[in-house]
Amino acid sequence: MTQPSPASRPAQLSPAQSTVAERLAGIVGERHVLSRPSELLVYNSDGLPGYRRQPRLAVFPGTREETIAVVRLLADEGLPFVPRGAGTGLSGGALADDIVVIGIHRLKKIISLDVDNRRATVEPGVVNLRLNKHVAPYGLLYAPDPSSEAACTIGGNVAENAGGPHCLKYGVTLNHVLALTVVLPSGEVVELGSKVGERDGYDLRGAFIGSEGCFGLALDITVKLTPKPQTVRTLLADFMSVDAAAHVTSSIIASGIVPAALEFMDGATIRVVEDSIYAAGYPRDAQAILLIELDGLEAGVSADLEAVRRICIDGGARNVKVARDDAERMKLWQGRKKAFGAMGRMAPHLIVQDAVIPRTRLPEILATIRKIGEKYGVMVCNVFHAGDGNLHPNIPYSADDPEEAERVHKAMIEIMQACIDAGGSITGEHGVGLDKMGYMEAIFSESSLNAMCELRGVFDPERRSNPGKVVPLHACKEWNSVARSRLRMSTIAPAHADDDLPGATARPLETEPTHPSAE
Amino acid sequence: MSTEAVVSAVKDSGATRTPLRIAGRSTWLDAGRPVRAVKTLSLRDDSGVVGYVPGDLTLTVRAGTPLSEIERVTNEHNQWLPLDPYGSSDGTIGATIATASAGPLSTGFGLPRDLLLGLEFVNGRGEVVRGGGKVVKNVAGFDLSRLMTGSWGTLGVITEVTLRLYALPATDRTFSITLAGDKHEVAALIHAITLSPLSPYALQLLSRSAAQALGLGNNPVCVIRFGGNEAVVNAQLIALSHISRPEEQESSLWGRLRNLEASAHTTIRISGLPTKVLAAAATIIRDDIHLVYTYMDPRRGTLRIVLRADETDGVQTTGAIGSAGDFHTTGNGYSEVIFEKLPAEIWEGISPSVVSDSLSQGVKRAFDPDNILNPGILGE
Repeated sequence: MTQPSPASRPAQLSPAQSTVAERLAGIVGERHVLSRPSELLVYNSDGLPGYRRQPRLAVFPGTREETIAVVRLLADEGLPFVPRGAGTGLSGGALADDIVVIGIHRLKKIISLDVDNRRATVEPGVVNLRLNKHVAPYGLLYAPDPSSEAACTIGGNVAENAGGPHCLKYGVTLNHVLALTVVLPSGEVVELGSKVGERDGYDLRGAFIGSEGCFGLALDITVKLTPKPQTVRTLLADFMSVDAAAHVTSSIIASGIVPAALEFMDGATIRVVEDSIYAAGYPRDAQAILLIELDGLEAGVSADLEAVRRICIDGGARNVKVARDDAERMKLWQGRKKAFGAMGRMAPHLIVQDAVIPRTRLPEILATIRKIGEKYGVMVCNVFHAGDGNLHPNIPYSADDPEEAERVHKAMIEIMQACIDAGGSITGEHGVGLDKMGYMEAIFSESSLNAMCELRGVFDPERRSNPGKVVPLHACKEWNSVARSRLRMSTIAPAHADDDLPGATARPLETEPTHPSAE
Repeated sequence: MSTEAVVSAVKDSGATRTPLRIAGRSTWLDAGRPVRAVKTLSLRDDSGVVGYVPGDLTLTVRAGTPLSEIERVTNEHNQWLPLDPYGSSDGTIGATIATASAGPLSTGFGLPRDLLLGLEFVNGRGEVVRGGGKVVKNVAGFDLSRLMTGSWGTLGVITEVTLRLYALPATDRTFSITLAGDKHEVAALIHAITLSPLSPYALQLLSRSAAQALGLGNNPVCVIRFGGNEAVVNAQLIALSHISRPEEQESSLWGRLRNLEASAHTTIRISGLPTKVLAAAATIIRDDIHLVYTYMDPRRGTLRIVLRADETDGVQTTGAIGSAGDFHTTGNGYSEVIFEKLPAEIWEGISPSVVSDSLSQGVKRAFDPDNILNPGILGE
């Protein structure tokens, strides 16, 4: 246990008399507990601004011991909590509805780096890009590269099983995590996987990765590092038709070449990016571009580069440009990675989907998405991981205009339905969170959802860790009969003068999707 | 056999509390701890392709489909599933996933958990459950697919799987390098090969006994497989030639290596930090116990010790288990020892359970509350 700092010592109060906030401050220090609604506003949304939930309290442990102590205190009190990384998620998964947020951003130690065995052990708050910068001098990289890599944390990546452009060749977080130390919601600490080798028994590490904060909190994460490829070549192919670019994507995949990345951006997105500070020199008049990266041994890459160039030209590409140097490569990538940010210029709100479709269906589904956009009079910007068939249709809009918001949501539901009908998944890398919970019953049967509830029940029998996410509560047989545990608000934090701050707890931008079957 | 038939078999067993032995084509039934079951549920007849669009590079098959059938179907479209578990290729995909079995190609393509996209199974209550999906990327819901992989049929009967495929490489060549000389020379050679910037599909170091059994001479041997376009294979061959003198081998060598285990009574896998495995490699493959086949993948950090039923006796079994223990001990815990096959009578003394922790126990209770699926195969 960490000694409370003198300033935060809960004066003469015995634990029973003090509030939870005071006792948390006793663990982490007063500076690292927030309970005023005005201070907590920052934590009331994630990367999807359409969802707002006001937490009751936020606590930021600075060490592993503090984290365990915080979780144990909440377990003793029977209080629910939401683990939160950098808040860059795109599913509403890190929102806390009047409960406690445990922020992990102070847990940012890179605990060890084993260059020879290509692995590193990090605390969960380590930022993805920082890990990459740390290992780069040794010729290594950490492969999963979400577009939010400059801000998102490894702990958050584990919770979401995060992907990124280069997952096409290298796989997602799941394929790069060897072991985890986890504090379960009960406060028990367990090791999952093995830091030293393969292990038999149930793959609990695999079960934990992508559990969206519902199974507990990682205290440390041992990841596999990948040697930097000998050669990296990046191509930009531009097309005067979306359909041609989609067909070329399918052709490249069918050819058997596995690019490191194969990204698609449509005309609307190109122009948004080019108008922003992230301008990458994409041709503004193109209807679509493909950003294709090949890496590996020099000899093999050169041969594949020629083959890919040929497929692009044969498939109707107007130009195929190969980046001459690293600076030019980085610029091409910057436009892609900041495309979401650039869309902020267009409208105050942005809704984004994450469906995955079979890759041969890409031309057809993109045409369907265009028709749906026209039908509802909304602008759909497509920027996505084409090689994986992982779509990201974005619609910039104003949630303050209820009529527009309604059209946007109807369009999104139809797009999702088209992807589901094509045999796809509702989410490839963003997670279910709050945003896609309404679609879970469209792809999973009652018994499959119930099995997920039961798995969660093993890790978190009281369902206190990130409650109300991923699997709709009514799908959980056991839990239906359990009365929802009420929070003892008065014990969490004292009332503040600014409790009635306008908008602090209201949900003015509530724009949650309706489930298709509810229509 | 269909999912419905599996459901009814499991429900019957649940009603009568009759434990079931889950089997594919029964080629690997000697693996795992002894199972306390009187009835066998075989998925042998639940075979065939459910969905295959070659352009998507994904394949959905029934669990009883033999690996050899998957190879045939995908090869017709110039594709393959790069998963070649040791043992007979008549084994089924369901058993491969259930036991998380992998072979030499795991150097380049990873483990079953990396190739699996989704599956359907019947849990111990006879409910049909799906985990994952049929597309190459998917994070919808909690990951039941990974949980089932390597659960040895104790959480559910796998009835269908969806897998990621790859295009067959334009060029696929296999080479061997004889590891002759004294311990230091062999060690230097192994280090040079393992740490070179090559990207082999497979890389194995074979002990003298294993090399002899495969007709590769009387010395330990390194076998290495390169695939991809012609340029990348040639470039790697040239790089390898700078290290030593590679000799080309038929690709059937890999099938013969896998088959060394087809009649094994003892298979021990040791998995450790690659540097630890590499450091011990020269000693391990030179210190040959007669007819104990040892081979290792220094990149993956694994070592297999195999004894065949028709050739060895209790003394050799004890010796092999002893050397596994030695490696584990001298590695100061930098390794995991996994017993895949042991003579039935010695399991209890050597590895009573790998699922005794409270989370694993909880998972078992949730998925198979009456303990009717393969009871005992992972221990209690």
